[in-house]
Amino acid sequence: MKSTNTSASSQNKKRAFPKVEPYLWLLPSIALMAIFVLYPIIVVFKTSFSEVSRSGLIRGYAGFENFKDVLSDPTFAMVLKNTVVWTVVVVGLSTLFGIILGLVLDNKFKGRKFARAVIVFPWATSLIIQASVWKFIINTDYGTLNTLLMRLGIISKAINWTPSPGAYFAWECWVGIFVTVPFVTFCVLSGLQSIDESYYEAATVDGATYWQKLFNITIPLLKNSLTVSTVLNIIYVFNSFPIIWTITKGDPASRTDTLVTYLYKLAFYKSRSGQAAAVSVIGFLILLACAGVYMVLTLRGEED
Amino acid sequence: MSNSSQNPKKKLNGQQVALRVLLYLFIFVVVIVTLYPYFVMFTSAAKSRAEIYSINGTLLPKQWLLSNFVDIWKKAPIARYMLNSVVVAGGSTAIAILCGIPAAYALSRMKFKGQKVFLGIVIVSQMFAPVVLLEGIYRVMMNFNLSDSVVGLIFINAAFNQAFAVWLLRGTFLSISSEMEQAAKIDGCNKLQSMIKVLLPMAAPGIVTSLIFVFINAWNEYTVALTLVSTDLNKPITVGINIFNGYNMIEWQYLFAASIFATIPVVILFMCIEKHLVGGLTSGGVKG
Repeated sequence: MKSTNTSASSQNKKRAFPKVEPYLWLLPSIALMAIFVLYPIIVVFKTSFSEVSRSGLIRGYAGFENFKDVLSDPTFAMVLKNTVVWTVVVVGLSTLFGIILGLVLDNKFKGRKFARAVIVFPWATSLIIQASVWKFIINTDYGTLNTLLMRLGIISKAINWTPSPGAYFAWECWVGIFVTVPFVTFCVLSGLQSIDESYYEAATVDGATYWQKLFNITIPLLKNSLTVSTVLNIIYVFNSFPIIWTITKGDPASRTDTLVTYLYKLAFYKSRSGQAAAVSVIGFLILLACAGVYMVLTLRGEED
Repeated sequence: MSNSSQNPKKKLNGQQVALRVLLYLFIFVVVIVTLYPYFVMFTSAAKSRAEIYSINGTLLPKQWLLSNFVDIWKKAPIARYMLNSVVVAGGSTAIAILCGIPAAYALSRMKFKGQKVFLGIVIVSQMFAPVVLLEGIYRVMMNFNLSDSVVGLIFINAAFNQAFAVWLLRGTFLSISSEMEQAAKIDGCNKLQSMIKVLLPMAAPGIVTSLIFVFINAWNEYTVALTLVSTDLNKPITVGINIFNGYNMIEWQYLFAASIFATIPVVILFMCIEKHLVGGLTSGGVKG
């Protein structure tokens, strides 16, 4: 890096260089993100305001036509509602269960290392594989959940685990929770590690009970870790495609669709690229709002 | 928590014994439920198709057909899919880290205008999974003639993991004092030399964590690969295994056998970084 400013002739350059230098270090990173993240964002926005032929050619400016088409379709309202339910249920229950599991795993007990290693599994496994296994497990005709329960003598004949679209959707939420809990658990564990033992010692001296310590010391001090995990999870779960795609493909009639599976079908099955782009933009704006909240919280944490 | 500060040798009273029993019961249930899908995957992978679709299902295979684990390599180009996954995950990891290190270096060792803005952009861009932008990614890749190629997948995965890599690396660099680098500079090293010779070796654990994390993300990526790649021989394993997911019948035993091969390397990698990763996640995101 220094070699560029050793030429004696350019005194000005020398003074200017330190100002430019940091940006040169950032350049590869910026270039990579500009080409493959920013550029697609721009293209999506442009497409959403364009008239697009069924073969995908952009014909011209269409104003808010695509947005009007999307918003006037009653399916979209249902899909949006599904997306909210999906995100809130999965993130909410995962967070709750992750906190409990984290608190339990923080105790010293035999086999703790083993338990922690096992809990990593769902986190590391590809969502598409995890979803396929569950699709197999809950199958009414040959699924292993029925086999297991029948062999254990809990049920006598096969149960239809997925009698309705709502039941399918509930199972999809379950798989979502199953794969999200480990992340929360480990965020909680790392947050617990950073809490100073002396707080608990002082509280014990003052005669505090377990629950008093939990709600007055542990939970408030976990707030930072939980903020990070919750916001990241909202974004991951909102964007999650493979679980729903594998189990129901959003069917029947979009009853189990979320925004991302819906827009995928619009773009690549129904060749309605303009409308798909409009759905993308709507999803993008929702995420941007979440990201804004996250950024404010994170940068505030940085300044502390 | 409260238990961990107690002397384990102290005699437990009745209530504490009950709590211990509850704790083990709880952990037992969690472990069983977590391992259940893996049990199903493994046992079903060793069954025959007839046994899988039989109404009188079995818990364990009547006869362990371990030949399924061999047959899949002949039934489908699994080796090619695995190779593609290695190339995509390896390539995108290399690019993400090579671009990420200088950026993280500037963000942790220099002060400049727009630093906060860049950090903000990094955080925000972390929020966008490629699936929302598929329409745009598809068009951009068509423009570059990179759709339906392994190279295209490498760049997309590298770019969408870039923010996270920068974030983790910056956290690592910030946790290392710059004193040694300054000493190296006095000895005549320039910035690049001091970074390579002094900072990077000290930051090795953090760099390895970032490497593995990006690798796993790229390895497990499904949606972009599903959309962009249509040529069978260019598919990574996550998309490739769908070859056993036919229109009429799913060959579950082969699907699961292939899934096990796709899962084992990642689970092992993940267990290696488990401790570092979460520390990096939360301390990189929020101090405390």
